[in-house]
Amino acid sequence: MKNKRFNLLLIALVTVVALWSLWPTWHDYSLTRELNGARSAQDSLNYAMSHRQEIESARQKSLKLGLDLRGGMHLVMEVDQIDLFEQKAWNKDAKFTAIMNSVRSKAAKSDARVLDLIVAEFKTENIRLSRYFYDIRNSDREIIAKLEKESDDALSRAKEIIRNRIDQYGVAEPVITTQGSRKIIIELPGVSDQNRVRNLLKGTAKLEFRLLRDPEVLVRTLDRINTYLVQNGTSPAPAEQDSSSLAPVEAAQPVSAAPAAPAPVPSGSVAPSTSAALPLNPAAPKSAKPLYDLIGVSENGTAFTAERSKEYVSILLKRSDIQALLPPDAELLLAAKPDVTPEGEKLYSVYLVKKSSELTGGVITEAKATFGSEGVQPEVTMSMNSEGTSKWARITGANIGKRIAIVLDGAVYSAPVVQAKIPGGNSVINGIESLEEAKDLEIVLKAGALPAPVRIIEERTVGPSLGADYIRAGMLSLSWSFLAVSIFMLVYYKKAGIAADLALVLNILIVLSVLAGFSASLSLPGIAGIVLTIGMAVDANVLIYERIREEIDAGKGLISSMELGYDRAFSSILDSHVTTMVAAFLLYTYGIGPIQGFALTLMIGTAASLFTSIVVTKEIFAFLLGRKLMSEKSFG
Amino acid sequence: MRIFQKTNFNFIGFRKIAYAFSLILLASGLISLVVKGLNYGIDFRGGSEVLIRFEKNIDVSEVRSVLDEAGISGSLKQYGLDRSFLLSSVFSGETNELKSLVSNAFDARLKSNPHEIVRIDAVGPSIASDLKWSAMKALIASLLAILLYVGIRFEIKFATAGVIAIFHDILSVLGLFSILGGLFDFMPLEMDQSIIAAFLTIAGYSITDTVVVYDRIRERIRGQKPADYERIFNESMNQTLSRTIITSGTVLLSVFVLFIFAGPAIRGFAFAVFCGILIGTYSSIFVAAPLVFDWLRLSKSAVHLRGSKAS
Repeated sequence: MKNKRFNLLLIALVTVVALWSLWPTWHDYSLTRELNGARSAQDSLNYAMSHRQEIESARQKSLKLGLDLRGGMHLVMEVDQIDLFEQKAWNKDAKFTAIMNSVRSKAAKSDARVLDLIVAEFKTENIRLSRYFYDIRNSDREIIAKLEKESDDALSRAKEIIRNRIDQYGVAEPVITTQGSRKIIIELPGVSDQNRVRNLLKGTAKLEFRLLRDPEVLVRTLDRINTYLVQNGTSPAPAEQDSSSLAPVEAAQPVSAAPAAPAPVPSGSVAPSTSAALPLNPAAPKSAKPLYDLIGVSENGTAFTAERSKEYVSILLKRSDIQALLPPDAELLLAAKPDVTPEGEKLYSVYLVKKSSELTGGVITEAKATFGSEGVQPEVTMSMNSEGTSKWARITGANIGKRIAIVLDGAVYSAPVVQAKIPGGNSVINGIESLEEAKDLEIVLKAGALPAPVRIIEERTVGPSLGADYIRAGMLSLSWSFLAVSIFMLVYYKKAGIAADLALVLNILIVLSVLAGFSASLSLPGIAGIVLTIGMAVDANVLIYERIREEIDAGKGLISSMELGYDRAFSSILDSHVTTMVAAFLLYTYGIGPIQGFALTLMIGTAASLFTSIVVTKEIFAFLLGRKLMSEKSFG
Repeated sequence: MRIFQKTNFNFIGFRKIAYAFSLILLASGLISLVVKGLNYGIDFRGGSEVLIRFEKNIDVSEVRSVLDEAGISGSLKQYGLDRSFLLSSVFSGETNELKSLVSNAFDARLKSNPHEIVRIDAVGPSIASDLKWSAMKALIASLLAILLYVGIRFEIKFATAGVIAIFHDILSVLGLFSILGGLFDFMPLEMDQSIIAAFLTIAGYSITDTVVVYDRIRERIRGQKPADYERIFNESMNQTLSRTIITSGTVLLSVFVLFIFAGPAIRGFAFAVFCGILIGTYSSIFVAAPLVFDWLRLSKSAVHLRGSKAS
């Protein structure tokens, strides 16, 4: 047995490295036990304080548990590329909108890249991309390259912004990666308030300051829409609720309290009667005032809609035939938060704002959640950079007495009247319900706006109790399969079984230490991979031992039988290991998420077993032979 | 200890029966695939799933009636055996709504039996088709890679028969999934990513036993007359029978432990691998080697072995 010293050294080295890499995990585990075992909370706190550094460094280097074992959230978000490309386009006209709409409907149904779809659509319409994108002199190919870069940039920017938001929200060890050209994968271990996180991630955080149109214009516009609805006979009553699955339970609630301010409209033309102004029953049959069944107008010329018709109104306002009735460069937006009347009715204001914004959130440098002047109403104060400050001063100075709406992601937070010129670059968002929400706003404003809207397309949440169950199940499987296989090897191969079992222990150590060393995490499928490895790793030993038995039976001496056994079994062992590793490797390459964890442990385990089952057992036998502890009977 | 010592089975003589058995297995699987199809899991189907666990025992029909009363549609199934239920419905990006609807429904109507929502999954249709596509890619790529590797390591007849055996094993398991899908409460046998992982594991492992038998045949067949092939094939398979059974046996043992202890999330995977390895062991003896034998017999030519030394 040549190279004996080298092999021994190698084995010692591998064992030491494996143990060294797993040491922090063990340390972390024992520290945590110490902490939990403390007699009182005070003791535990004291211990944590005095050993802080130790605990932190152990935790950082220890074997990480996967999302499924710790509990947490796995999200896949998609950047809306169509919206992104629309933003990049110039002089958009009806044709362009039609093309993009067609792309939108196609993209929903296929996996094709959005850009390819756009290019194909332009081709069939026989329009050059340069008509809408970049410079008229650019060729299609140049524009495609530019748009491609644009969408790559957008993806990495979106990833950074989402990372900022998560970091500021405070999640330990988030993993954020991009996949393909438009997906962002977010793993958040141990998140308890999933809804808050979802809202934090979802919003584009596009902040705009927009001038409000005069109340008379709003009233005239609403009249026009109403007349249009009457003429076209299209009752704005909502279509049958989406019958898909979860029909809201309280769909048919009786009309409740009387409206708050159902006074006649100042302009007088379509003064809604007290009863018609707000019952706002969306299911009402055709009415002479279809719009005013949904939207009420108060004395001072502000419009509002009740909470239950809000959804429908916002759909109505997005209809292209309705949008055509609006004055040029104007848009109807709803308030983000309702005003609650003394009767308890929630009313959302309807605003007519200019389509183009005076200033956007890009100029915001600092945001802070505080309580307002009365000390009860949470608000977010913002300060701007120098460019924003001077613009803001000019805008406020030119519009004293008018209202400027603060719009975040298409919803109006507040629309204060400009009292005086604001020279300092300060502004405030109020109309926020809770301090928590104000804090979240602060986070998204500081992190900046996403380049395009993002959507959640996959979400997997594992509660902590299920994670604990998984850990228990995984540990049970690991220990039982190790016990079963190692006892079998002892019973079937006697002394030689000891060598195989020792090799198996080292194999499991290697798998875990590689995971810990490369900060990969251990998930339930990963544990399944280790369990499977336990069964497969001893295969090599089985092949070798069977061959040795055969040679011994054929009358060869012990030492030459062993040499032959290792030698002749090697080809079969190699073949079977290579095929398993190839399958595991491809699974790791093409697989997604949890499957990768399985593939990884299987791959490491199979590779390691080539070393442990052959080299390690051979050295153990060499040692035993040297002490005259082996005989022909040792292989059972 | 020795289990299979000096056996003398006439495997080659049994091969016609084995072929018939394999064909029946494959055909019934295929028929079931066409008629009944497969149960797709959320990975490939898309949709939302809520896993609800109750503190006390409760009947599935009672849970269903509560959901019906609350107007929550979707299919409800027992999940595992420990008072857990899986509600599947269409995909919605707002899992929170689904969660609160379900939660409120149970809070209001089943006060005496507290529940917990332990898991929510929502997979959008585009992700589902992505997952399906990448699963297909992984499966095809690994079959090709294994074909290539076996083709390099073995003569063409051996390699082809070995890969046919792999297809045999995977298709049999797929057929079993279709036939047995939805029959058992404790294992729904849905096609999801983990089953693809099982197929790849089977594909990678199935060749192990085949290789052992092949290596022995190769070692013994060198320089022999075609008339002796039947004897050599039989002897080789008998000589390696013990290790074929034991290598598979240790893996089966591990996978069985997984099936019992690792919980419902892994159970379908464990079942697939268990069946796959069982069928793979059978096929290495009764399909892969006999196919090579028949091929050699029909082509009436001696084997041309590559220059590798007998191993």
